Amino acid sequence: MDSAVIWYAGQATGIVSLTLFSAVMVLGISVRRQVRIPGMPRLAAVALHRSISLLAVVFLAAHILTAVVDSYVNISPLAAVVPFTSAYDPLWVGLGAVALDLIVAVTVTSLLRARLGRRTWRAVHWLAYACWPVAVVHGVTMGSGTGHPMSGWPLWLTIGGIAAVLIALVPRVTTGRRALTPADVLAGVRR
Amino acid sequence: MNTVTMPLRIRSLATSAARRLLPSEPLSHEAHRAIYGDLSYLDGRQIVVAAELSGLCGQGGAAFPAHRKMTAVREAARRSGRRAVVVANGSEGEPASAKDKALLWHAPHLVLDGMALAAAAVGADRAFLAVESGHGLGRYLTAMSRQRPAPAVPVTIIEVPQRFLSGQESALVSFLDGGPALPRYQARPVFERGVGGGPTLVQNVETLAHLALIARHGPGWYRSGAATSLFTVREADSAPTVVEAMPGTPLGVLTGAGAATGQALLVGGYHGTWLPLTATALEAASPATLGVPLGAGLLAVLPHDRCGLVETASVLRYLALESAGQCGPCLNGLPRMAAAFNELAHPTPRSDLRRLRDDLSRWAGLITGRGACRHPDGSARLARSALIAFAAEVDDHARGRCRAPGRPPMLPTGPASPAAPIEQGV
Repeated sequence: MDSAVIWYAGQATGIVSLTLFSAVMVLGISVRRQVRIPGMPRLAAVALHRSISLLAVVFLAAHILTAVVDSYVNISPLAAVVPFTSAYDPLWVGLGAVALDLIVAVTVTSLLRARLGRRTWRAVHWLAYACWPVAVVHGVTMGSGTGHPMSGWPLWLTIGGIAAVLIALVPRVTTGRRALTPADVLAGVRR
Repeated sequence: MNTVTMPLRIRSLATSAARRLLPSEPLSHEAHRAIYGDLSYLDGRQIVVAAELSGLCGQGGAAFPAHRKMTAVREAARRSGRRAVVVANGSEGEPASAKDKALLWHAPHLVLDGMALAAAAVGADRAFLAVESGHGLGRYLTAMSRQRPAPAVPVTIIEVPQRFLSGQESALVSFLDGGPALPRYQARPVFERGVGGGPTLVQNVETLAHLALIARHGPGWYRSGAATSLFTVREADSAPTVVEAMPGTPLGVLTGAGAATGQALLVGGYHGTWLPLTATALEAASPATLGVPLGAGLLAVLPHDRCGLVETASVLRYLALESAGQCGPCLNGLPRMAAAFNELAHPTPRSDLRRLRDDLSRWAGLITGRGACRHPDGSARLARSALIAFAAEVDDHARGRCRAPGRPPMLPTGPASPAAPIEQGV
């Protein structure tokens, strides 16, 4: 199928899902570090992490569907799933397939978390840290949709997402996590 | 043998020496055998049945039926193929309580007998006796256990840190596994996965001493209500007395002469309940008829010249600081409740009394049942009961009056975190 609509839909869903995944990373890191995103209660961060990630998966599904259906370039359904088997641009399409497989693993284990047990779930969930950079590279290298790297506002949007994730990560690396003690709370609330 | 001092006063209302938990003098193994006689052989199943028929419940606070715990451990060991472990819990942790320390000091062999029975009941191959550090109990008990012939199941005596939460069962398991003595999140309960991953029976030392008496005198004797149990009785600032009495003994007899001048009674411990104390209650009521949990058996009499709000504020502050800070409801709730109660304890004319009271009730409801252990639940129970028992005192304080202005609290809040005096207004 060859239609400008499908091409635009493929571009749009790709950019939206990449942006949403950056937001999911920021929320996930803040939950893990037990820090508060300014103006947002912690419980909201957990709930948003969950719902935005599911929303991102929906956009990702649409992105892959359009990429396969679009006849502007030839990407087979198999190439969308199995890395580096695409006839067109095997390396950068392959990175997209890697990201997809990792996201599927992370999502499925999260949905089955109650059955899998915490340890297994957590081990798989760490893959998110590998998945997101791969998705970013896939987006930046193929992001123009014309065979050239991403440019213009989508590039700035992606850079913004990268910056947000790095900011969320930085204090973790430098200060680590210090648990609040009851004495801290008592000192804080005494009037 | 002794560099150890246990400055504990004891009083026993038991009638027969052979059925007594607290001998007047600490007994060597030989003296113990002379008074109590040897244990006759019972197999594991018989011991569980005896515990069931006697109706024996845990004496550490939760009053859980002993035989159900034993059965659970036994079954878990059979299912998983792991060897069971017995932990005798003598680390009462609570600064106001002394009954477990008194029992260990006066009747160590009764506890060790009980441990042997419990180990046989669940098929354990290891047993630990956990006691509070700082009293020399570890060394004393090690010496006492050496007087005995080598037991079928080896007993290791361990001193645990003096902290309020050290005696919580998952905290003990964590400590025995080499971790901190703090409650931990239990994906599987300790009766399934405890010390070293083995199904673990954690039982209070007094419960085990009862088991040793039940094995000798039969479950019927225990069930008949003739068996005694231990109470820590505190009056004003004096050192506590550990009293051995039947749960049906009138409060007046249990608490002694000083109680007549008391205004209220703290029942159970720092996770317990404040009750108003009247002359009729002293004569007619007994611990068994109070209708509140007896917890670990603390009975603290609050004299008329003391302020119940000051006491409660001090204990709540202690409980907040003793929180492990691992669960949100406890970490955020207890310090707030302690701070609000400190406001109530401060006699000054105020207009925000209603808000303070509402906040406390709301927080008490919010934190109950939401921790990994029962620390928030017990602390909320204490705060709630104080608001009821000292309701008139709360109103007086809001008008700037206090019945005991400037007096420091009498209830001990432990060496672990000494209580700062609560500032009293002029």
